[in-house]
Formats: sequence, structure tokens, C-alpha cells
Amino acid sequence: MSRKMDSAPRHGVSFRGNDGSSGTATPVSNEQARVAFYFNGRSIEALPQDTVASALYRSGRRTFSRSFKYHRPRGLLCVSGRCPNCLMNVDGTPNVRACMQPVQDGMQVIHQNASPSLETDFMAIAEKFSWAMPVGFYYKTFTHPWMWHLAEPFIRRAAGLGKIDNDPNAVTDHPYEHVFLYTTTAVVGGGPYGIRAALEAAEQGEQVVLIDDQPALGGYLRYTGSVKNTSGTASHSDTPAEGEPTEGLDALVKRVNEHPNITVFTNATCFGLYEGRLLGIAHKNPDSSVAQRVTQLRTERIVVATGAYEVPVLFENNDLPGVMLSTGALRLLGLHGVTPGERAVVVGSTEAATSAANELESAGVEVTGVVPPDQVVKAVGRKHVTALQTAEGQLACDLVVVCGDWVPDAGLVAQAGGTVAWNEKRSVFATSDLPEGVSAVGAVTGESLPPAVGLSTSSAANSKKVFVCPCEDVSLHDLKTAITEGFDHIETLKRYTTTTMGPCQGKMCQQAAISICAEQTGQTIQETGRTTSRPPTSPIPLGALAGPHLHPVKRTPMHAKHDEIGCVWMDMGEWKRPLYYGTPDSKRESVEQEYWAVRQRVGLIDLSTLGKLDVVGSDAGKLLDKVYTNRFSDLRVGRARYGVICDEAGIILDDGTVSRVAEDRYFITTTTGNIEFVQEWLEWWLAGTGMCVHITNVTGGMAAVNVAGPKARDTLAKLTDRDLSNKRFGYMRCRQAEVAGVPSLMLRIGFVGETGWEIHFPAEYGEHVWDAILEAGAEFDIRPFGVETQRVLRLEKKHVIVSVDTDATSNPIESDLAWVAKLDKDDFIGKAAISRAKDRAPREKLVGFTMDEDVLPPDGCVIIADGQPAGRITSVRFSPVNERIIGLAWVSAGLAVAGQTIEMRVDGRPVTAKIADEPFYDPAQARLRQ
Amino acid sequence: MIQLFRKERMWRAHELKRSYDVVIIGAGVHGLATAYYLGKDHGITNVAVLEKNYLGAGNSGRNTAIIRANYRTPEGVPFFARSLDLYEDLSRELEWNLLFNQCGHLTLAHTDSSVDGLRVRAETNQIMGVDSRVIYPEEIQKLVPALDMSDRPRLPVMAALYHPPGGIIRHDAVVWGYARACDRMGIEIHPFTEATAIGIDGSTSQNNVNAPQDISTPDGKITSVETSKGTIATETVINCAAGWATVVSQMAGVALPIVTQPLQACVTEPLKPFLNKVIVSANLHVYISQTDRGDCVMGAEVDPLQSYSMLGTLPTLEQMATYTLELFPQLHNVNVLRQWAGICDMTPDFSPIIGAVDGLEGYHLDVGWGTYGFKAGPVAGKYLAERIATGKTPELIEPFRLSRFREEALVGEKAAAAVSH
Repeated sequence: MSRKMDSAPRHGVSFRGNDGSSGTATPVSNEQARVAFYFNGRSIEALPQDTVASALYRSGRRTFSRSFKYHRPRGLLCVSGRCPNCLMNVDGTPNVRACMQPVQDGMQVIHQNASPSLETDFMAIAEKFSWAMPVGFYYKTFTHPWMWHLAEPFIRRAAGLGKIDNDPNAVTDHPYEHVFLYTTTAVVGGGPYGIRAALEAAEQGEQVVLIDDQPALGGYLRYTGSVKNTSGTASHSDTPAEGEPTEGLDALVKRVNEHPNITVFTNATCFGLYEGRLLGIAHKNPDSSVAQRVTQLRTERIVVATGAYEVPVLFENNDLPGVMLSTGALRLLGLHGVTPGERAVVVGSTEAATSAANELESAGVEVTGVVPPDQVVKAVGRKHVTALQTAEGQLACDLVVVCGDWVPDAGLVAQAGGTVAWNEKRSVFATSDLPEGVSAVGAVTGESLPPAVGLSTSSAANSKKVFVCPCEDVSLHDLKTAITEGFDHIETLKRYTTTTMGPCQGKMCQQAAISICAEQTGQTIQETGRTTSRPPTSPIPLGALAGPHLHPVKRTPMHAKHDEIGCVWMDMGEWKRPLYYGTPDSKRESVEQEYWAVRQRVGLIDLSTLGKLDVVGSDAGKLLDKVYTNRFSDLRVGRARYGVICDEAGIILDDGTVSRVAEDRYFITTTTGNIEFVQEWLEWWLAGTGMCVHITNVTGGMAAVNVAGPKARDTLAKLTDRDLSNKRFGYMRCRQAEVAGVPSLMLRIGFVGETGWEIHFPAEYGEHVWDAILEAGAEFDIRPFGVETQRVLRLEKKHVIVSVDTDATSNPIESDLAWVAKLDKDDFIGKAAISRAKDRAPREKLVGFTMDEDVLPPDGCVIIADGQPAGRITSVRFSPVNERIIGLAWVSAGLAVAGQTIEMRVDGRPVTAKIADEPFYDPAQARLRQ
Repeated sequence: MIQLFRKERMWRAHELKRSYDVVIIGAGVHGLATAYYLGKDHGITNVAVLEKNYLGAGNSGRNTAIIRANYRTPEGVPFFARSLDLYEDLSRELEWNLLFNQCGHLTLAHTDSSVDGLRVRAETNQIMGVDSRVIYPEEIQKLVPALDMSDRPRLPVMAALYHPPGGIIRHDAVVWGYARACDRMGIEIHPFTEATAIGIDGSTSQNNVNAPQDISTPDGKITSVETSKGTIATETVINCAAGWATVVSQMAGVALPIVTQPLQACVTEPLKPFLNKVIVSANLHVYISQTDRGDCVMGAEVDPLQSYSMLGTLPTLEQMATYTLELFPQLHNVNVLRQWAGICDMTPDFSPIIGAVDGLEGYHLDVGWGTYGFKAGPVAGKYLAERIATGKTPELIEPFRLSRFREEALVGEKAAAAVSH
């Protein structure tokens, strides 16, 4: 590993003067030093087992952050990634828990929420005004809108913790991945209980996944020694069951690692237990190229062995740097070899306090006293603790080790619908009723935890400086005031004071808030209850949840051909389609040339994006009769018919053609964007009916083109043996045929209003067929045409495009498609609604119109009558054959009369148009049937 | 400023009385607003607001707190515009800062047809006096520098409907502010008091409708409400129980054309301010804003299935994250802290049901609020209070009567409201 001690910081951040180290640095000797990273531009040496926080602590740093509201200095507290005290920006990522972030060579770490430095933060002035900012400050001030408009920008500027890059283009790679797994048993928590549960299940032949959020298995044993000497060390002593051989941690871990049935995930946080026993697991840096991986793990059984965590004790200045949880101090010592202080006072009345004191002393820390929590008045010191004031006097120290109460880590169980209830005997909230398939072992059940101390705040303490919620700077005084004001339910107390709503997700403060609420209201803790546990149980980055940031683009089999010719592309859902052939500045000429090719000679369009379904089975016709508004069971083999799908409210959902290719087989086309929906819709209405139908989406497997125009028949005749004469292949017929040697399905339909064939064939022959048609049509001056041209052609025919000309309120009756609703048919989806729509007077109608002058309104232009909105334009284009501007519009029923003048505003100027009831081209359909 | 140091109870606890002039079921923003305007505008204060949970436990505390008036239909626009007016002055009126940040609201369009839809809305809004216009990428980028306007996302941003007076508000504060004002007028608020039955013509037995085939209502007169804390005599009941509107309405034998679907949202850790606009994308099914505390709140589309479940799901969380990153890729390393769900009463036309119920005297509805209830709390409360006090239905809420479903006179808001919070 290369050392970059001397290279310049990459981010150009530099700080002069005081580097803020207030504690005693323990130098890393040259033989040990392996890694160097930068903190605020200064190089810091670290050992490979270090986290950013442990390395900074070793280097003498004691202030790690500034608090959210008052900008009070904060130091390491939990050293387990739970509290908000060490949030830093690491390599551009905000709000990183520095105590859980392994060091890497060259890493850039900068502090957050303090200016100019952690030691000297101008915003700390906020605390000077804290007397004027009681709980609910913002609600009670600036109630006049003008005052609020003045004040808000300043408040907003002061908000937040981490900074993100404002430039969306700065992000180029998304090193995230998603994995989906199944196992019979998942064990969450790799402490001694979890390890034993995993081994037990594995011995019974189960496939086990054992998940732990730390870099190695072992739980608290990793920093408190082996099972043998744990009695009381980390409070939740783990005594093996009677008769079981006592094994050391190494032996247990070895058995786990060697067991063929056990898969171990370390550095993996189980952040959610969702319905159906689905675990969401976030792996940090699973390999060097992946920042985060999320595994969705489905299981039959889940063993929750998440243990318990320690929470702070309430006394004045309990947030001062140097006041640390006992587990935090022991983790620094045991995991990182960092001595947390020179002179320590241990706060705690349980056995744990003595044992923590012993452990500290054996590491060379002088312990000047062990103080019961109810004897503590306050921690003394300005930026770092210098003494602990007790009822009996001051004890000088540079470290206060707090043995707080233990809270079972039961969030997963509560999220999954299990019950986390107050355990009177143990004085903890622990798992009680568990969801099916979920069990719990160890400290999360409340077992084996030492008796809780509960609230024990000295009356001598200034309650405004007793911090309950370190994330949001909520003090004991704030909570008491809020309760007096009527926010005396734990949920309203939470929302009013914002306690539990910060980055620690309530881990540090919820238990205390509940106790305070209970004490103040005179209720029991059971009656007070907890706030709802919501996923995720640990903060999870959006990127990890989103997974690989992929943008699939679908290309038709002829994509390269369009590129060769040169076209302007458009996005249609995930598809790319040629809008027209030419360049962006040739739009009008290109579209007109393509247009006249279709109207006078022959044109070719790529329709491969159309949704295509193969619907097979003896009941296929019956299903289609139920889902479509018109009838298909009576469609003769070899015929095609236009169909519309509506929902129960009679609203048009999709349209397309349905062709009967065999007695029990239909070929359906849908609009490009709706294929997945239509397939789902058909399957939804099929489910449970017992009908014999199989539905296959063949969109990707089939290419499609439409050859249309007076010369379409002559063109295709060169490529197929099929007789294309009107007599043998009439309008709305379908035939299997070989086209250019490729087996195809030919449909004689006419969306663009000319004689034409839609040809569907295997996608791999896309280019071959495309080329063959162009070659065959060369003598007729064939031209490929794009979507824009197609839209002009179909608009002249008044053919509706679903979701362009219709929206979520359009029914067939008012959309000028009444003929597709066969109300004499047995029930179909939407029948009742469509019948009613037919019986009542229409409210609005989709009509054609021609502009009175040569002005092109935008699509979406509003029709105005008497100064009020009375409709809207859905499609409007220049019609070359009519030499005027035509369109489709929704207008209120009163206006929907042929010849009626309608008004709209274009660029602020009023313009008029006339309603037309006939199609604008070939109203008799003669050309289609030629 | 004086109230800053006064430790006054926001609302007091009361013993439930034997009778009230008006009983409101549901102490969210709608229930409390209705009570407030009954007292303030009409002097009706012998009112009980019942809530089965704590105040604002339902959707008032679960929504994403977006206020806007840029609706699509001639019925919807003036209604929501009036609500916006009321919200603008509400902090002063209640002497309680609701932290209304009128930062502006942008509805993004990523497809041609969405752009057309925005044009329709903009023009309709302008004609009806609502500040709203279509803007294009250059201006969008200026307003929201952090937004990814490149063609990298699958659906590039093509245009936006810009609605400057829209914004976000502190939703819980609205509930507390109304509750305090109600309490000051003598209106009683009863948390943890669940309505269990509604008496009609002195009886509660015949009211249960199980599988209503049609929208039918019993004839009669409201006489009482039974609660978990005893029976109350009353002649006027208002159903403001969002999420459980159908359940409460069944107590009165009134079937509603409502299905209930969960809607999920999530919130990130606090960040330094980077976004001071509400961003909504219908095509990407996501809306996002940054609060004055710095956290980003994101909401999803309603869950595809009907349910009363308020447990969050992983696929929806992943979708919210994916769509958010399409718009703001630089948020990829920002942590999500919480996800939650509310349950929405969806009507067929994405419009509410407000007003009296023909045939059943004394029963009033303020329901069917789908995904847009919070922003309409003040206007619905004010005009329903007027309906109750005067017996006449104000023009503004007339289009939202229950009978429109029988008359086939639906409001066309669905076309715009499909995703637009």
C-alpha cells in the first residue's frame, strides 16, 4: 500500500492554525503506520484496524462534530455508529459515521456543520440565545407572514448537517448493486446468541445466512474478551446454557466459518424486515468496485439476535466531549487499541460500572472514582470534560465513562408487525409477540440484561443543559415544557420537540423520552408506549436502495438502418423511434416529402415498438370478449378487427388490432407504452376464471413494418407469393405469408389511410426485410417515414391515439368511438359505465377542427368560451392535402356541432377554428379498400 | 412574542358531555378546521371533535405537506386556490407559525403528452387567476440548479409547470394551531375517543351496509354517536375520518364510492439547503422537497393494491430512491432515515366528497381526499361549516357533492391528479 503522507489534499480544503487537538495524542510508531488519510487537509496516520474516528482520537482529536441547533462541541459517544456525534464528510459523502468507517489510504475527511472549524464555530453563538429559543420557538414566533418571509431564509441557511454537491453532473458512476437471495433461515446479529442460533439451525440441516453489521462476528465479545470473562463486562452477560461446553469466540467463529450450511455476511446491516419475511440487507463495500450492495433475502424463518445497546445517562452537560458510553470506551480500547483517556470517572451503579473500571485500569487508565448515576450533578468543562461534579464534590478527569441502561434492539420485530412491549421485570421494552416465522434470542428479548437504572437526574442539574436527544439538541427542560403545553402523548411529544427524529433515529433518546413523558404525566411506561418503529432500522443511502443506475434503451431491429439513412430520434417510453428522416432543421420538408410518398406512391415505417401478444387457448375469444369493448369470439379466422380496452369506469385504457390467426389463436397489438399493462390486465381478468388461455408477450421477438400507399401492393407483390388482390386479401384481413423469404404475419389495415399491410416477422430478420422492401419499392420511389409523418397522416383520418387524444377521463362514447362498444354483448369490463355514458347527455366530445387562419396552436392549447375554459386541443398539424391546419380537440358538448366556431389564444392573440365532423381525408374509406 | 415564554396548554382535556350540537369524527386538519370555522364564522362552539388516536395521527401527520392550487378543472382550480389563500394568512390568524414556505412548485414533464397536459393546466390556471405557467429547461435549471437536466436520465425534463405560490408547510403545526384555536373558543377535542356507531332515528341497529351494490343511503335523521367513552346525543355528525371514511360512513349506513390504498413516503438525514422548490414528476412517480430543517421528503405513487396496511414496503422504498436519483443523482450517498405509509381514500374522479347527504338529515361528509387532502383542509372546513350553519351548499363545494356519482357528473381532475401532490 502506498503512502501519501506528503501529497497535497485533493479537495483543496485547508485550515490554518489550531488543528483542534485538545486531547493527548498517542503517536503511531513508524513500524506500525500503514495508512494515511486527510482530515481537513491535514495528514493523519492510522493503523489498518482503525476507523476514521479511532485514528482521529488517537491523533488527539476530541471534538468530532457540532450539534444541530446550538452548535455545542460533541465528541465520541457510542463508537458503534448509532449516535450522531461523529458525522463527517468522507470523500464527498455527507453524514458518514466516522466511528464505523474503516480508514483507507488517501481518504479525504472533512468536518460538518461548523465554521470555520470544529473548535471555533461562529454558529455556537446560537447557544447564547438558547434562553430565547424554548421548545416550539419557531411555532410561536414570526406568525406574521411578512416577518416569516424575512426570517425564513436565515433559518433555512442554518439548517442541515451534511453538504452535498449541488452539481447533478458531478456524479458519474453509481457503484451500487442489488442481489436477490433465498434461504431457509436467516439469523440477524452475529453475537454469541446469533452464532449459536446459526450453528443450531445449520446442524439441523437448514441453509443459514448469518448477518452482522460489524466487520467480524462476535458481538461484544470482540472487545470484551472471551465468553469466560464476560460476566458483567458488557452488561448483558452471556452465560451458556447448562451442560454446554464453554467455547471461546475464536472457536465459535471457526465452527461457523467451516460449516457448509452457513453463509456469513459481515459489514452487512439488516435494515428492514418486511412483509413476507423479506429482509433488506445493506452491505458496505462488499468488494472494491461496489460501494454498497442491497440484498433482498426471502426466508422461511428469521432469528432476531440483534442484542441491545447502551444509552446515555441524563445529567447536566452529558453531551460534553469526554463523556462516553462504557461500550464506546471499551470499543476504542478493545477494537482499535486506543486509550480513551488518562483519568476517568465511571458513572454507573451496576456491576457493569465496577467491571468497566477494572477493564480501564488494566489498560492503564487511572480511574478516580465510580459514581452512581443519581449522584452525578454535571460534567464540568468548556470544550472538553475536566471534572465530574457529584453531590459530594468534583472529581477531576479527562474522561467520564457512562454505564447507561440497555435498550433491546427490537426495531426489526416492531416493523414486521410484532409487538415490542414493556417488560416490567427487566424495565425494558423488549420483543413480546413475534410475527409468524420470526423468533428472538438473547438480549433483544430483554433476557440477561442487568436491571435498568431509569431516570435519575439530580435536581441540582440545570435541566436546560441535560440533553436527552443529542441529534436535535432537545433538553430535559424542553421535554418537560412541551408536556406542560399539552404535548403529553409520546407521538405528539416527538413531533413537537423533534426528539427521536434525528439521524440516530431515536436510538439514543427514545427510552429517556418515554420515561420522562411517563414521569411527567403520571402514567406508567406501559401506558405511555413507544413511537412507531419504521424502516430502515439504520440509515441507508438512496443509491444503495436504488441499485445500479441503469437506463435501458430499447432499439428496434432496424435501428442501424435508420441511423444509416439519417433520422431525428424520439423517445417513446424506453424505445427510440425515428421521428422523421433528415436533420433537425429540415423537419417541415422532410415530413412533407415522406407524407407525399405515402399518399401518392409508397412509404415504409418501422412499427417494431408496437406491443404484441400471442393469445392462445380454447377460451381466448371469451377472454377477449370480456376485456375488449367489442366482440372477438365471432371474428373469423383470417380477419383482423380494431379493439378498445376500457376500465370499469368506461375509461379508455388502450387500443390496437386483434387478428384471429387460428381457431384458438389471436395476435394482438397494443400501443407501444402499454404492452406490460395490457398483458397484466388480461392476466388479471383471466386469473381465477378457469378459462384456458395462455398469454405471451412477443414484442421483443418480432419486428414489424407498415408498407402503405397506392404502390404498396406492387411493392410487396415482388416479395411474396401471397395473392394481395382485394379479392384474396381484402381490407381487415390477416394472412400468414413469406415476405422476402421470411415467414410473416400480414395484416391489411390502414392507420394512415392508404392501402397497406402491417407485416410482423421474427426480429432477427429486421434489417433483411427492411432492405428488401426498400429495394422492391425503389422503382416506385419508396420512402421510409417516421412517427411525425404518421401522426399527420392519421390525423387527417381522425384516427385517435390513446393517451395523446384521450386521457384518464375519456370514454369511447365521447371520444367518437361509440361504435367499438358493443353494448348488446354479455358483460364486459366497463359496460355499465359506458351504457350510462351513452344514456346521458355527453358533457364533452372529441371533435375535429380546421383553423380559420394559418396559425399553429400548440398541442394542449385551451379552447375558450365566454372567458372560461371549454376544452383543449390534443393534436394539431398542418395537413398538406387540405393545405390548412387541422386538429382534434375536446370541447364541451354544446360546442361539438359541425361548423361551430371555437376560440383559443395563441401567443396571447385570439384565433378561431371551425368544428368538422368528417375525417379530413378520404371520408368514404375508398383508398383503404382499393 | 409574549407567548414564547408562556407555558399554556394547547388544548385541554374534557369529560365527554351527554350532548353536542355538532360531533366531528376525526381530529386531523379537516376535522379541526371544520370545528374552527364553525366556531369562528358561525359562533357554533358546542362541538366535540372525536379522535380515536392522538391529534393528527392520521394523514395530517403522514402527508408530504405540499400546498398548491394549480389544478386542472374549472371546479378544482378555484377550490384549491381558495385553500391556498386561507393558508397564506393562517399563521397570523391562528397566532401560530405554520412554517409555510412558499418556495414555488414545479411539476415536471418528461414526455410530449405530459407537456401538453401542463399547457392545459397552465392556461386553465391563468384564466382562473392562478399564478402558473409552463417553463422550459433553461428557466428550470435557473430555478433549480441541482436538478439533472441532462439527457442522461431515461426521461429527460422537457418542461415544467411553475406555480410560484405553491410550497410546503409544517403539517403537524396546522393541526396544533387549529386545535388550540378551537380550544380557545370552547370547542372540545377528545383524543383517544373512538366513534363506534351512529344513531339514526334513535337506533343504531339497522345501519350496517355490508356489500353495497349501489350508492344508497337510508332515510332518517341523525340522533346520536356512540363512542368508546359513552353515547352522545347530537343531530349533526361530520365524517372527517380520512383513511377510514368508508368505515365510519358504514356506521351511518351510507356507502361511499371510495377504495382505500396506501401511499408511502420517506425522509432523509438533514442536509445543508440545496433545493428550495417543490419538485413533482408525474412520469417518474415521485415528488421531493427539502424542509426548513434540511431533510428531504420524498413521496411515491399510491400502492397499486387496496389495503389498510401502514407498514412500508421495500419495493416502494427502492422505487422512491430510484426516481429521486433520476432527478438528483448527487443524492446517491444521502441516507434515508424513515419510510412510512398513510392510507388514502380514492374516489373514481380524484376529487373529494363534501357536503350533506340527501335523505339522511344531519350527516355530513368531508371525505374522499385521496392524495390531496392536506392542502384542502382550510377550504373544506370553512365551506362545510357554512353548509352546516346555513343549510345552503356554497357554490365552491357544490361540484363535490356525493350525488354526482349517481348523476354521472364527475369532476375531471383524474387526468391531472394521477400523480400531483
